[in-house]
Amino acid sequence: MSSKRADKLKNLEKMEELASKAKDKSAELVIFPELCVTGYINRDQFYELAETIPGPTTERIEKMTRQKGLHVVFGIPEISAKTRGTLFNTAVFIGPEGLIGKYRKMHLPTHSVFEEKRYFRLGYQAATFETQLGNIGMCICYDLFFPEIIRLIRLKGAQLIICISASPAVRKEYFEILAAARALENTAYLAYVNLAGVEDGLQFWGGSRLVSPSGKVLAKASYDVPDLVFCEADFGDLRSAEAFIPTLRDLRPELFDQLKRETENL
Amino acid sequence: MKLDPSVLEIDLAETTKRATRFIKEYIENSGAAGIVIGLSGGVDSNTVAALTSQAIGGDKVLGLMLPEKETRSQKDIEDAIIVAEKFGLKTELCDITPVLQSFYKAIPIFDQSDRLCKGNIKARTRMIYLYYYANKLNRIVCGGSDKSETMMGYFTKWGDVAADIYPIIDLYKTQVRKVAAHLGLPRELAEKTATPALWPNQLAEAELGIRYETLDLILYGIEVFMETGEIAKQMSLEREFVDRIKNRLLVSEHKRRVLMGPKLGYRTLGADFRLPRSTY
Repeated sequence: MSSKRADKLKNLEKMEELASKAKDKSAELVIFPELCVTGYINRDQFYELAETIPGPTTERIEKMTRQKGLHVVFGIPEISAKTRGTLFNTAVFIGPEGLIGKYRKMHLPTHSVFEEKRYFRLGYQAATFETQLGNIGMCICYDLFFPEIIRLIRLKGAQLIICISASPAVRKEYFEILAAARALENTAYLAYVNLAGVEDGLQFWGGSRLVSPSGKVLAKASYDVPDLVFCEADFGDLRSAEAFIPTLRDLRPELFDQLKRETENL
Repeated sequence: MKLDPSVLEIDLAETTKRATRFIKEYIENSGAAGIVIGLSGGVDSNTVAALTSQAIGGDKVLGLMLPEKETRSQKDIEDAIIVAEKFGLKTELCDITPVLQSFYKAIPIFDQSDRLCKGNIKARTRMIYLYYYANKLNRIVCGGSDKSETMMGYFTKWGDVAADIYPIIDLYKTQVRKVAAHLGLPRELAEKTATPALWPNQLAEAELGIRYETLDLILYGIEVFMETGEIAKQMSLEREFVDRIKNRLLVSEHKRRVLMGPKLGYRTLGADFRLPRSTY
């Protein structure tokens, strides 16, 4: 989807409309892009737009998921309930029985056109949730450049890794490569869901997709413009993928200790 | 990195798509009825004429030709008309000489011999025409600034650079020429020698003291954080020469920014009062 900047009401209406369409096609899980509730470019307005979780937006989405029996993932600027000015770039997971969980983005891009660290606090918890649909992990956009976090999500049991994103056009090639690579190296399904449309001159390239555990793109949305695509992830296929290229079996834990040491001494 | 012409190669179809999409979305969201551009007959404005017409339709693009006595070129006017006819945009010609002469007479300290200050009046007068038409017709002004001249500060502050959107500002001059050819501009127009036309016989490359093919590679090197010594070495140039180019970029930053003031309050406009450029 594309978002209307700083217009939560309009974006929520759009999300509800899309969720209804998805439900009509018997979808069980609907995924929306990073910060889709407010749009990506809001600069100082993030302070006015951010909400607690739970909060008005999650309550509204919960009402819908309960009515429709749907699971929904979406992005929203979150404000810490304990402070008045500490924000997070958060992915929220809501199911037919209410809030399942949330993930606060751990890698905040603050380079090139990105200024996320100026507004958001880093998250500290990787997120994988056991749901009626299976084990589902979440990450956000720039996280995909870091194999460690995706590996962690997978090791926590994720069968499907969801990456919600707001990626501008010049980065399309990188994310297309990374989405396939992260799925393949972790032998897990990976749903990459990107914003479309233009905000403040930044053109988001859409192109959302579901990648199979063997790196195959199973469904792909249109580039640049809003689109709704459907696809089935059959977790029964994970065994054959894991047996064919057994990356999880062949993991070497001692490397992670070295990785930590070397990262600290970079 | 090897600094050769291949680093400036771009996907022309993708670049054109991005630029036209940018223009189209901006117009749709802003609610403007169309676009006004200054049509000098040069490659930048001709390219922008083509891009804007492709993006929103030539009937919504008005190209203003604003010649004046000292630099008037029938060839430039004819070149602009060729492009306007090819891409279906409307044109209007207003000779700005009488307005300029009024300025020359009215400004108490006006100095006929100072061609730069005088030339800047021409660029700023054109800006006034463009914005009058835009205001009156509920349109926006689309600028024709390219990355090479903008990085070099080779423009008139509040003059030719004044616009609402800049579709080719992230393209070096040599890249603009390729986009122009890709859009179907005649080869002669895509390769046309650049001139700001602030005074007779003014040529951009002669004034800058460098060919665009060389300048663009130096600027690209600077853009990707290469050291000037390395750029000079790779291009077989004097280090001091490359340093001078970089210095032009550094000293002209004030021309690319607006609202410079002291920090006095809680959030300061132009500094840390950070808002999106528009409400859409």
